Amino acid sequence: MSEKIIVIENLVKRFPVGEGEFTALSDINLSFEKGEFSGIVGPSGSGKTTLLNIIGSLDSPTEGSCTVMGKRISDLSHKQSAQLRNMHIGFIFQVYNLLPVYTVFENVEFALLLQKRSATARKKAVMEALEWVGLEKMADKKPSKLSGGEGQRVAIARAMVKRPELVLADEPTANLDAKNAHAILQTMKKLNEELKTTFLFSTHDEKVMAYLNRLIHLEDGKVAQDEWVTAKSTR
Amino acid sequence: MKIAFKLAFKNLIGAGLRTWLNVAVLAFCFIVIVFYNGFLNGWQNQGRQDAMDWEYGHGQLLHANYNPYDVFSIQNGHGNLSAEKTEDLSAVLVRQASVYPKGRMNPVLLKGISIDQKVIKLPIKLLAQSDVEFPVLIGKRMAETLKVKAGDQVLLRWRDKNGTYDAANITVEAIFESKVATIDNGQIWLGLDKLREMTGLTNEASYFIAHEAYQPTAIAGWEFQALSTLLKDFDAAVQAERIASVIIYSVLLALGLLAVFDTQVLSIFRRQKEIGTYIALGMTRNQVLKIFTIEGSMYSIFGGIAGIILGAPLFFYTLSQGINVGSEIEGMGVQFADVIYPTFGLTLLAGTFVILVFTATLVSFLPARKISKLNPVYALKGRIS
Ligand SMILES: Nc1ncnc2c1ncn2[C@@H]1O[C@H](COP(=O)(O)OP(=O)(O)OP(=O)(O)O)[C@@H](O)[C@H]1O
Ligand SMILES: [Mg+2]
Repeated sequence: MSEKIIVIENLVKRFPVGEGEFTALSDINLSFEKGEFSGIVGPSGSGKTTLLNIIGSLDSPTEGSCTVMGKRISDLSHKQSAQLRNMHIGFIFQVYNLLPVYTVFENVEFALLLQKRSATARKKAVMEALEWVGLEKMADKKPSKLSGGEGQRVAIARAMVKRPELVLADEPTANLDAKNAHAILQTMKKLNEELKTTFLFSTHDEKVMAYLNRLIHLEDGKVAQDEWVTAKSTR
Repeated sequence: MKIAFKLAFKNLIGAGLRTWLNVAVLAFCFIVIVFYNGFLNGWQNQGRQDAMDWEYGHGQLLHANYNPYDVFSIQNGHGNLSAEKTEDLSAVLVRQASVYPKGRMNPVLLKGISIDQKVIKLPIKLLAQSDVEFPVLIGKRMAETLKVKAGDQVLLRWRDKNGTYDAANITVEAIFESKVATIDNGQIWLGLDKLREMTGLTNEASYFIAHEAYQPTAIAGWEFQALSTLLKDFDAAVQAERIASVIIYSVLLALGLLAVFDTQVLSIFRRQKEIGTYIALGMTRNQVLKIFTIEGSMYSIFGGIAGIILGAPLFFYTLSQGINVGSEIEGMGVQFADVIYPTFGLTLLAGTFVILVFTATLVSFLPARKISKLNPVYALKGRIS
């Protein structure tokens, strides 16, 4: 009855380096089901970000295939991959990458503008998303006025506002203290449970791992271990 | 497109000082271009009008042997025309002579025109009311050359109908002021009948000045020069000035556009995370291209609007007060009024605006295209250098 949202088969990613090539990912075979709350873990340089970028269609595999929501990433045109990201994938970055000239509201609204939703629909969705992360009172603030924890919560609201099927979070807690890290993880876990959004993390933070149901260990671009674990409760 | 405008607008407002610097530079370009072109237009319109009012009327019918630029043509460059052919024409007879103010000899041209002519503004009718024996009219430049004032007497020598010298004392009845130097320098104006009588050239004329109603027809031995032909040299002088000014604008505009271009190129580096974020959020390359191109165009739109607002006081002031260019530049060979009233037409304003926006869009487009093709993975990492 479960549905595969991501299927990766024999994926290889090489980067040209000087004269030769560097293999960042090799022989990756993975699949993720809808509603998973999983993480790719591993030391720095193991290829976590590279894998997430390919799943998010910001990059494409050198060999093998990566299929997201039934679409092969390497077959997508620029327009199609933009469409996939806009409609179905939310990104959360280590540095929040909020747009500095926009208010919190406008930052969250952005994806909906691209979707050409009506102003009333946008307003409703944005306020709801800000409520999820507890920032409804900050709507008119500029990102520069926010604390790190608040900034990352805005980024979560921005990723979630369009209710994507998949959220890719690349080291979302790396710049946060423990308290804020737990707060945003709980928020995400809650959204995962309520909206059935699939979350895929990249992290080497123990705090994050504690919330995950599945840990995929990457080492030197290869999957070293793929384990299901009992996650910390949100209550 | 609407989103791109909205986002570009927000980005520019958000960028603060950088935006206003670019806008200020472009507004300055706009004001200079509009102002100088308005000045040239005003100069050209006024110069043409003055030349018409004071010298050319609505064209001139010249005796085939008469060439106004060749003094040797004067001797035989005259003839007569029957009355029905001179309808709507005012005759002018030109002869050579000399005057002797304080005993120094000065060669002059005597120009006779009907005392009651109305085709040019020359106030020759003043001579009709004179009670002196031999009144003449001269311009202020000529008065300066001869160092004479109104009321002064000067000895005039000319050749009569037999070719022998005759002499008389002429009295400067009045000194007229005209912006047209070519009816003033080296010339003495007197009644046509008087000059014809002095030289025995009854019914003769060197040329005729056409009235508005005049219908040119081919007349053997005479040549009609339309106003546009007569103004050719003047128009060419203005045109030369325009070409020179285009070079100045181009340099100025290039500097303004360089500021926009520079901002755009810097964006590739300064705003790469923002660009990566746009793409991660699902913007297409085309949308990114649009935002950045529109940002560039918007500088020029703001610049043009700011130019109109900031320039308005200057434009209105010079429209009502004129620009005093002084008479020093008169020696340049082209007619120059002392005060020039610029003309700022809608065409000038709109045309300058369009040029500004078009060029700014063009210089924004190329860097924006590069921006839109950035690899989002590198851009997000801030790795583009
Ligand atoms: N564009 C590139 N060109 C060359 N090498 C690259 C490129 N991108 C990544 N790499 C290399 O690929 C490897 C994996 O990089 P990646 O960023 O995926 O690691 P990571 O697991 O996310 O590390 P971190 O925990 O530090 O973020 C690294 O050794 C990195 O140097
Ligand atoms: Mg990484």
